[in-house]
Amino acid sequence: MMENLLKLDNVNTHIGQYHILQGVHFEAKVGEVSVLLGRNGAGKTTTLKTIIGLTPATGGSVTFLNQDITKKPTYDIANLGIGYVPEDQGIFAQLSVEENIKVAMKKESEESKEKLEYVLNLFPDLKKFWKKAGGNLSGGQKQMLAMARAFVNDSKLLLIDEPSKGLAPIVIEKVMEAIVEMKKRTTILLVEQNFFMASKIGDSFTLIDDGKTVHQGAMKELIDNDEMKHKYLGIG
Amino acid sequence: MDLIISLVINGLATGMLIFLLAAGLTLIFGLMDVLNFAHGGLFVWGAYTGIFSYAYTGSFIVGIVVAILTGLVFGFIMEKLIITPVYGNHVQQILITLGFMLVLQEMIKVFFGPNVVAVKVPEYLAGSWQVGDIIIIKYRIFIIIFGFIVFGLFHYILTRTKVGLIVRAGVMNKDMVQALGINIKRIFLFVFMTGAALAAVAGVLMAPYSGSIYAELGMEYAILAFIVVVIGGMGSFQGSLFAAILVGLAGSFMAYYVPYLSLAVNMILMAVVLIFRPQGLFQAAKG
Amino acid sequence: MNKPILLSRSNLILFIIFLALIAFPFVMDSRTLTILLTQILIFGILAMSYDILLGYTGIVSFGHAMFFGIGAYCTAIMLNDFESTIGVFLGSIVVGMIIAGILSFLVGLLTLRLKSHFFAMLTMAISGLLLVVAEKWRDVTKGNDGFTFKAPDVFKDRIVFYLVVLALLVIVFITLKRFVNSPLGRVLIAVRENEQRTKSLGFKTLYYKVIASIVAGVIASLAGSLYAVSLRFVNTSVLTMEITLDALLMTIIGGVGTLIGPLIGSVVIESAQHYLSGLARDFPIFERWIIFFGIIYILAVIFFPKGIAGTLQSKYYQWKAKKVQTTNVVPLSKNKESSE
Repeated sequence: MMENLLKLDNVNTHIGQYHILQGVHFEAKVGEVSVLLGRNGAGKTTTLKTIIGLTPATGGSVTFLNQDITKKPTYDIANLGIGYVPEDQGIFAQLSVEENIKVAMKKESEESKEKLEYVLNLFPDLKKFWKKAGGNLSGGQKQMLAMARAFVNDSKLLLIDEPSKGLAPIVIEKVMEAIVEMKKRTTILLVEQNFFMASKIGDSFTLIDDGKTVHQGAMKELIDNDEMKHKYLGIG
Repeated sequence: MDLIISLVINGLATGMLIFLLAAGLTLIFGLMDVLNFAHGGLFVWGAYTGIFSYAYTGSFIVGIVVAILTGLVFGFIMEKLIITPVYGNHVQQILITLGFMLVLQEMIKVFFGPNVVAVKVPEYLAGSWQVGDIIIIKYRIFIIIFGFIVFGLFHYILTRTKVGLIVRAGVMNKDMVQALGINIKRIFLFVFMTGAALAAVAGVLMAPYSGSIYAELGMEYAILAFIVVVIGGMGSFQGSLFAAILVGLAGSFMAYYVPYLSLAVNMILMAVVLIFRPQGLFQAAKG
Repeated sequence: MNKPILLSRSNLILFIIFLALIAFPFVMDSRTLTILLTQILIFGILAMSYDILLGYTGIVSFGHAMFFGIGAYCTAIMLNDFESTIGVFLGSIVVGMIIAGILSFLVGLLTLRLKSHFFAMLTMAISGLLLVVAEKWRDVTKGNDGFTFKAPDVFKDRIVFYLVVLALLVIVFITLKRFVNSPLGRVLIAVRENEQRTKSLGFKTLYYKVIASIVAGVIASLAGSLYAVSLRFVNTSVLTMEITLDALLMTIIGGVGTLIGPLIGSVVIESAQHYLSGLARDFPIFERWIIFFGIIYILAVIFFPKGIAGTLQSKYYQWKAKKVQTTNVVPLSKNKESSE
């Protein structure tokens, strides 16, 4: 049995007066790709934001590496080793690719240099456009830059929000390959609408509906369960 | 021709003073989304503490250093006590910073007296050069050089150092900077204190230039700085230099040719920019 | 005031205060106090007009002085140039209100689509511009030196003028109360609470904000007219930032969004100004009485954003709710305060 890297226990989150998360549970195991699934507005993105502390939980607990991070500020959480790739990628538009990555690199150690080399091999496009402004990259390149940036920051867990959104199928393919490759070195928590992609690269899944966890299990289970897919994802 | 050159020098000197004031304002706005209506209060505090220490010690350099320290200390106190409680609430920010402006201005009168204080240019900067028919006042050149040095220094910090990189990234996307493990609150404090110090320096440099200081001066210059920040684009450092020079030149030429329009022209300039291009001429892009 | 609905307890209290204010000058024969009270009422009108903007619509204007100044100059100039009769006085009030209305319409149309920061700055600039114009246009305004003029003869008696101001204040109060409780006023409150949502509900929020700014501008002009007559003198100080600041301090300290709050604020600030500057002869620190208000104001913005009236009001409701709760035994956990 693998160790739980991240554990959410009955997490509740309010944004303003809205009660968005009303009881989210799940665990992410070391070395796995876990996928958060659910329809639009179910609370997947908020779950990621709650983990990274941008919309802190108002109830329940978030545990990472056996530490309670529920009330920690975002930068502390990030420094514990959680990388975050938001839905809109959060690229600093006027900074070059190089500068975007530099913001994330805390120290110029051998290890971080090696990590940088690794992601640049993974995403050769970034090397090609090293001096180009982040805002002028294509959608796929922005996605890669955001993933690379999250990864070099010493991340033990990557939170990636809808990497396939708005990308051409051929680019999605590339991003998928990269995620599978990065999985060898880090744990990944993915929010994904594209079930095809989710089913191909995910090891386990968590279904969220109306701000609550309704099911969690191995990805294989979901692939074979047409009824659940129909009920919560509107497919099959 | 001679006239034009002296008007240009005049305008550049005023422009540089406004730039020092506006630079902090624009960075604070761009990064923290806070429009500091008390910025002029820091300016006038810099002027008074600097000039009084200059008078006491006889050294203008000591005056400048004291002004910088005043700016840093006031900036620290203000960020912690006045700004932090009202982050994210624009209406409260506007109200509270204006209230603090009032307090700063009145406190000047308590500590330094309500009267106008006359200020002399330090001896080594006094006087003028004569080049052909043109008389160039030394102190104005000093202000212009000082302004460009500050611009160069900050331009270097913003584009070549890690802190500068983080500040620029923060202007574009605060949340993302935090999610990359950077304590943005500390950066906020740093930028706020720096902006306050710049305002205070502007104050102490302005004093010998205008020859006298009084408590209400802060508000007058702050309005010019607002105009500059709006014209230059909120959050744009280069924009504020450009706009400050523009406002300085417009002021100096108007004061000579159409004196009754001199203040009005800047206000009209700002109104036109706000109405037709509310993001300013230079826009600090958000991510 | 003979409709039964109006006879609630709070209206009764207001009515008693009103009667007391009418009786005041006849009971207390003090010229200084009558003048002070007149001043309080005039600034009360100004502060109430500011409350329409800040308290009910949630917009911060730093240019409110321009409407006050327009009223002051209209009345001063007309009373000076024509006969100083009641007719001219009333006419000047109307003219001032019309000009202020047109100006606030134009300014509002141009500026109210901007975000709060920019709006505050632009109103500050426009008002500053008007001040510059007034200072340069000496033929008409006599600049900073100003000019004295004759007030209508009836106002020679300070008490008559006081009563006129009081009557106008009551009319303004009732009118504004009706205005904010009308469907239109409800939309303004919705704009304050969440402009985006109000917009998405299909309201043209700009239109409502412009109306609020016209109402506020027109009433401020009335206050300016009265102010000029009370001094029999006008200069460019009626257009300065100080006037806007006074209105702002009164509204914040008294309590935004209550109408009665700004009146309380006016009482507090005007009487403090009066008595504290009196103390200044012995204790020079009181010369700078505004510092205390600046500090109180800052604390109010942070800790009591509802001001005196708002805080008292919510305390009163809490106390009432508690009374109901103890009789009904509602679970304590639901008793949590929720701030807005």
